[in-house]
Amino acid sequence: MAPPAQSKRSASPSQPSGKSEVSDLKSQLRQLAGSRAPGVDDSKRELFKKVISYMTIGIDVSSLFGEMVMCSAASDIVLKKMCYLYVGNYAKGNPDLALLTINFLQRDCKDEDPTIRGLALRSLCSLRVANLVEYLVGPLGSGLKDNNSYVRMVAVIGVLKLYHISGSTCVDADFPVMLKSLMLNDPDTQVVANCLSALQEIWSSEASTSEEASREREALLSKSVVYYFLNRIKEFSEWAQCLVMELVAKYVPSDNNEIFDIMNLLEDRLHHANGAVVLAAIKVFLQLTLSMTDVHQQVYERIKAPLLTLVSSGSPEQSYAVLSHLHLLVTRAPYIFSADYKHFYCQYNEPSYVKKLKLDMLTAVANESNTYEIVTELCEYAANVDIPIARESIRAVGKIALQQYDVNAIVDRLLQFLEMEKDYVTAEALVLVKNLLRKYPQWSHDCIAVVGNISSKNVQEPKAKAALIWMLGEYSQDMHDAPYILENLIENWDEEHSAEVRLHLLTAVMKCFFKRAPETQKALGAALASGLADFHQDVHDRALFYYRLLQYNLSVAEQVVNPPKQAVSVFADTQSSEIKDRIFDEFNSLSVVYQKPSYMFTDKEHRGPFEFSDELGNLSIGTESADTVVPAQIVEANDKDLLLSTDEKEEGRDPSSNGSAYNAPSYDGTASQTQIELAISSPSVPGHALPSSLAIDDLLGLGLQLGAATTPSPPQLKLNQKAVLDPGSFQQKWRQLPISLSQEYSISPQGVAALTSPPALLQHMQGQSIHCIASGGQPPNLKFFFFAQKAEESSTFLVECIINTSSAKAQIKIKSDDQITSQAFSTLFQSALSTFGFP
Amino acid sequence: MPVSASAIYFLNLRGDVLINRLYRDDVGGNMVDAFRVHIMQTKELGTCPVRQIGGCSFFYMRISNVYIVIVVSSNANVACAFKFVVEAVSLFKSYFGGAFDEDAIRNNFVLIYELLDEIMDFGYPQNLSPEILKLYITQEGVRSPFSSKPTDRPVPNATLQVTGAVGWRREGLVYKKNEVFLDIVESVNLLMSSKGSVLRCDVTGKVLMKCFLSGMPDLKLGLNDKIGLEKESQLKSRPTKSGKTIELDDVTFHQCVNLTRFNSEKTVSFVPPDGEFELMKYRITEGVNLPFKVLPTIKELGRTRMEVNVKVKSVFGAKMFALGVVIKIPVPKQTAKTNFQVTSGRAKYNAAIDCLVWKIRKFPGQTEPTLSAEVELISTMAEKKSWTKPPIQMEFQVPMFTASGLRVRFLKVWEKSGYNTVEWVRYITKAGSYEIRC
Repeated sequence: MAPPAQSKRSASPSQPSGKSEVSDLKSQLRQLAGSRAPGVDDSKRELFKKVISYMTIGIDVSSLFGEMVMCSAASDIVLKKMCYLYVGNYAKGNPDLALLTINFLQRDCKDEDPTIRGLALRSLCSLRVANLVEYLVGPLGSGLKDNNSYVRMVAVIGVLKLYHISGSTCVDADFPVMLKSLMLNDPDTQVVANCLSALQEIWSSEASTSEEASREREALLSKSVVYYFLNRIKEFSEWAQCLVMELVAKYVPSDNNEIFDIMNLLEDRLHHANGAVVLAAIKVFLQLTLSMTDVHQQVYERIKAPLLTLVSSGSPEQSYAVLSHLHLLVTRAPYIFSADYKHFYCQYNEPSYVKKLKLDMLTAVANESNTYEIVTELCEYAANVDIPIARESIRAVGKIALQQYDVNAIVDRLLQFLEMEKDYVTAEALVLVKNLLRKYPQWSHDCIAVVGNISSKNVQEPKAKAALIWMLGEYSQDMHDAPYILENLIENWDEEHSAEVRLHLLTAVMKCFFKRAPETQKALGAALASGLADFHQDVHDRALFYYRLLQYNLSVAEQVVNPPKQAVSVFADTQSSEIKDRIFDEFNSLSVVYQKPSYMFTDKEHRGPFEFSDELGNLSIGTESADTVVPAQIVEANDKDLLLSTDEKEEGRDPSSNGSAYNAPSYDGTASQTQIELAISSPSVPGHALPSSLAIDDLLGLGLQLGAATTPSPPQLKLNQKAVLDPGSFQQKWRQLPISLSQEYSISPQGVAALTSPPALLQHMQGQSIHCIASGGQPPNLKFFFFAQKAEESSTFLVECIINTSSAKAQIKIKSDDQITSQAFSTLFQSALSTFGFP
Repeated sequence: MPVSASAIYFLNLRGDVLINRLYRDDVGGNMVDAFRVHIMQTKELGTCPVRQIGGCSFFYMRISNVYIVIVVSSNANVACAFKFVVEAVSLFKSYFGGAFDEDAIRNNFVLIYELLDEIMDFGYPQNLSPEILKLYITQEGVRSPFSSKPTDRPVPNATLQVTGAVGWRREGLVYKKNEVFLDIVESVNLLMSSKGSVLRCDVTGKVLMKCFLSGMPDLKLGLNDKIGLEKESQLKSRPTKSGKTIELDDVTFHQCVNLTRFNSEKTVSFVPPDGEFELMKYRITEGVNLPFKVLPTIKELGRTRMEVNVKVKSVFGAKMFALGVVIKIPVPKQTAKTNFQVTSGRAKYNAAIDCLVWKIRKFPGQTEPTLSAEVELISTMAEKKSWTKPPIQMEFQVPMFTASGLRVRFLKVWEKSGYNTVEWVRYITKAGSYEIRC
């Protein structure tokens, strides 16, 4: 048959509703429904195919439900299958129509042909309509007792489907008990395996409410059950073997003999062609021997070869999955793999996700004997065309340097990188040289000679620039040009976008000053002046701090800025060993690939609001396509569980208790005063929650700059009470606009208490003419997106507000197309937020 | 739980849905949109085959011009999911008879839906063996074999065989001529430094079989691998015969091989599936015979000229020959003109991959053809940085040669009716990733 999508597209290229086609199909199906002419089955098949193909590409063909059911009364099995597929797809949305199909499905469940019985039972359970569950119990009960294993196999999974539709119906009908007896007695291993899957799911979710279920769940791990499975393991399909071994990995044997028996029995699984089986067996071996250190080591030796084979066979995706596990093992026991480092050499054409893992492993296995070879190899990659990998490999060299005692050769290599004259190589190498010097100050002489030759103009990346500036400050006595380079950089203060670099610049020039005062004095003055005028809070504060420190006492200042330093012995590990152990416990699952334990990515509490912010960020690319509505729907649908409410035009729901609540608080004295009162009445509101205009006055310099920024704006900010913004344009704006303000406030305990019902906050904010467009998250992290519009003009303020109820902090990001008034809006927003929870 | 996939999608390169099959309700119906927006239309595509979006994890694989995407909501078993996709694709291929691509899917989508229903139920993999599935899901869609046996006898039906002891073989096969074909296919991976030292070298080999045998035959395969030979000499208390023995680093077998017997007696014995299958896979790192040595010299003469000399030496027996030899020698992007001299085969400059491509259709053993080329470069002011050379890459096939030296010592077929069989054994060595830095 012709490719369905194309034919559809040509018919209605703009709007794929396919309405005319659907009504065509409807009439054709009607004609065929009653016909008994020869060959009618073939034409029905063609029509059904068309319906299914429309369904696949997303055209709604649910209106054909009745006709489809009528036509399927035929005996043709292919027709039946297509009809079952159709019914399964649309029954959920059309529960009334689904009732129509119950009859013929129930009849088919009693067909003499076991295939039809099985298929009908599978479809019946796939209807997923809650009020039809009563019709499922009977067929399922007889399906479980069917003398054909195919039907039993389907029925077992059917029970699980029923459980997900209506748990109580399933348990009340005693199905779990029936499954258990099937599991222990059925001759067909696929039936047994399905029973195991179903029971594991049912009892795990029942365990929280029923003690009996949790006992039953424990019973699955009892010696008799585990042995029953182990003794039959060779009869199971490869997938079921994975399932069984997953179960065995959780089993706690009573003594060491048992452990050795199980390992001997499963050892041949390591030769299985299916990588999933091999990994499952490895998990059993690793888990069983955790308490026996020496045997555990032997297990590592034993599983090395099968793992390396798996890595080198199969598609890149498969080897990625295996490599992630190998990576975990290598980081746990690097010495065992240190002789196999050549296996981790990258091939030129490998995908970068594979290369990255390999680089990590090369870093991990480096020791005294192989460092030279590994570093030589890594240096080859530094010249790689793939820039992220080139960077990664330079970082790897650095990591090895930091974990080795003999860094002689490595330092030379790093210095060679600096001479390669590629911007990204230089950048990475600078960062590394800096870290290296912090650990091995004795190398400063060699490094500084090379670093001094680097023109700061060629270094653009903030991290690298910061590293270079740090070295200029730290070793200014050895670098002839240091004060002049710093001076140059300070002259271009305004062009320096990274706050990190500016902070480093301040410190470096201070350090330089204490070593070479006459040459640096001018630069220091300029730096402090620029720093005090800086709009970045941290830079400003640091400049002020230095300024006052210098005023106070020069020798104290020197002690603060240039204390005698101790070399860093170990750089902190980013991941705690507890987390690493949890990942190890979840061997052979996604945790290993993501390199974080499962609760971090399956638990809603943990991923909650952060996911949501990703959504908005990532969506940016998608919206470039014609319709901006689609991504918005995606956000809603994907995060249905996250969204508490999405009110766009909720008007007239404002709290009417107080008339003044309708008026937006104005940015003038009164608002500030309430602020101050609040600050006094509730000690949890710290000083910086005050409007900055009040705090500014006594700060050197800053007042001028901020004042200049705010003077053109009118002090009064009125918001439009009936602001309207659709989610699509919100996202578009959010994407386009830069963050004009980012602040953290504290929330009063009353506010936190009132936040137990987040909609209350939304109402409250709406009372202040700040509207919520989306909200989500689970306590303690709540996330809101607000917007507001100016009363007279069209300018809009967008706010992302993350509230942590346990620390009583709110992080606010404000974006606005009117940068000037955003400060005023921020104050307004803050005051609105702080009055929340007060009656 | 091993997989419990919530949904499977097949998409073409533009992101149109070819097949969608939802197994569970725990993910939204428009997961495919999330995949399109967050992965397909971004630079993320190809950076990692496992991605998390909004609480769901996406595993995707590209196979010819189709993406297969599995969506899961739990902490699933990744290796199992990818293996499932690979197995499913080979199942589809065995139904379509050949290619698996967008057209094949469009032409067979009803069949694919049928198969997806059988191979996975509620997210759990079921039976994926083509042998068994073909018994009751047929392309012609004729009624299942059960219908002809309305008595519903419990024993000889497909579903028992689904999981029976010999799930991969049907009973009652009859062939007029009983034949076994055995191919040893090796691919050599090499990474050689510019100084000519071997950085990394290994061989991954496969033993492929094609069996046309009647009844339920028992097969036994003997190789010249070290462990097997030692065990044999132990059992027969006879010293190991002289001659080369091969040390296999690791072996994996098709599910038909009796692994218990392999572990105790070190013999490969099995009841083969009918038709084609992969009997075993192995990996060797020690004592690899490299079929080719490549000696490149690349000189940059000033800023606009390069001189490239490459000598390739075949080190296998003089009576053998390699086929389809291709040597790709990288040149800088700004190459303007090239002049060649080759002593064998043909060479040309391919601007699309920035390589000189030298092809030799038939390459006899113990010879050493050379290529010398002059490359003229466009001089650019911007490109003052030195050129980072990718490695020279090589493709070849050498029939009747194994880089590992592995040989079949015997292949015994035993069946209770005692028929005679004809056995055919072939060897071939191919280039895996054969890279020489220069």
